[in-house]
Amino acid sequence: MKATRETGLDIVTDPVRAEASLWRRARFEDDSRSRETLFNRYIVLARSIAARHFGWRRRAVDRGDLEQFAYEGLLQALDRYDPLLGVPFGAYARPRIAGNVADGMKRMSDLDAQLSQRQRLRQERMRSLGPIEAAPADPLAALADLAVDLALGLMLEGTGMVEQADGIDRRPTPYEGLAWRQTQAAIAAELERLPANEGAVIRQHYHTGLTFAHIADLLRLTRGRVSQLHKSAIERLRRRLRHH
Amino acid sequence: MTLCDDIRLQELMTAIAADKGDEIAQVDRALADFPDDPRLHFLRGSLLAAIGRPIEALSALKAAVALAPDFAIARFQLGFFQLTSGEAGDALSTWGPLALLPDGHYLRTFVAGLTYLIRDEFAAAIEQLRLGIATNEENLPLNRDMQLIIDRISELTAGDAGDETMSATSLLLGQFSGRSN
Repeated sequence: MKATRETGLDIVTDPVRAEASLWRRARFEDDSRSRETLFNRYIVLARSIAARHFGWRRRAVDRGDLEQFAYEGLLQALDRYDPLLGVPFGAYARPRIAGNVADGMKRMSDLDAQLSQRQRLRQERMRSLGPIEAAPADPLAALADLAVDLALGLMLEGTGMVEQADGIDRRPTPYEGLAWRQTQAAIAAELERLPANEGAVIRQHYHTGLTFAHIADLLRLTRGRVSQLHKSAIERLRRRLRHH
Repeated sequence: MTLCDDIRLQELMTAIAADKGDEIAQVDRALADFPDDPRLHFLRGSLLAAIGRPIEALSALKAAVALAPDFAIARFQLGFFQLTSGEAGDALSTWGPLALLPDGHYLRTFVAGLTYLIRDEFAAAIEQLRLGIATNEENLPLNRDMQLIIDRISELTAGDAGDETMSATSLLLGQFSGRSN
């Protein structure tokens, strides 16, 4: 039995043409959504290359760091690939991603290696959510909001929307609390309702584990704008979830 | 607009049918002399589609339709190309003017069938596609494409659809040379 029902459009869609259409839109029509779709399509390739290098590592490195280098290589390949030359993107991108991972590992200092990618992402997230006002009118309420926002981030990480880098399925087990599972389900539903750019930032940050800098590159936005979109998405989720 | 004369077009078709591998170059030479001939752009689009250069194929097909908005088969094939590229919205926009064709025209009927297909209304899609095949006597390769779609829908609705997505590579080239890709 098929997991998803085939649609009428599926019947007539030629995968090669459909991908060419994405490249045309991304490259010649400056459509960042198509670029993101292409990135998502090849993320598995980037992850598999990172995993191979992780297996070959000669010193302590965080697998998340290798994935970031792989994502960086993928983003560069997306920009440099010429879809008119007839070379499949996977074949073009593979050596470039691998090269970027190898170079990244060489560049990493021991200090970098000690601070895991996950910690770095959380620091970045914290900076994005931090109160803008130096002295908020109601410091306790601001602190409570921040706590809720950070908790939302933890729940987003654990919604099981995408398998984590270590391959462990973190979807809630039947033994976890009903309330937790219901809240996660509510978050997943609310994610679908976020404005397009906010949804993209949340997906790429929490699902894929991209840094804000890489998301900015992917969506053709500034890093500051990505941080703002992250903050505004989390605040929106918090407000909406209060009604659940 | 200066059009390529029929003799040269026929020579071009014969040369393409000979399959020497320089078809695009030959069409490009003809296009250099007749840049506004929509048939040459359509032919170029067909050839590019057949050899797997979809981005350029789309541009060439669009150029053909832009030059000759009433070139119905080019308009239909452009829409079909967009549909097979997963761009259903663009396909419907391209096909819009075909609604002005006479009632019962096979292209109009095919468009109706494919529109039902996009909406997952499979029974109505099959009915219209069959009707189109029955009335189309001038473009037989197109009937083969539509029959492939009907067969695929039948498999799907029978609940035993295979995993392979039908390529539906349109037989644009076949309209000129009779060869399939």
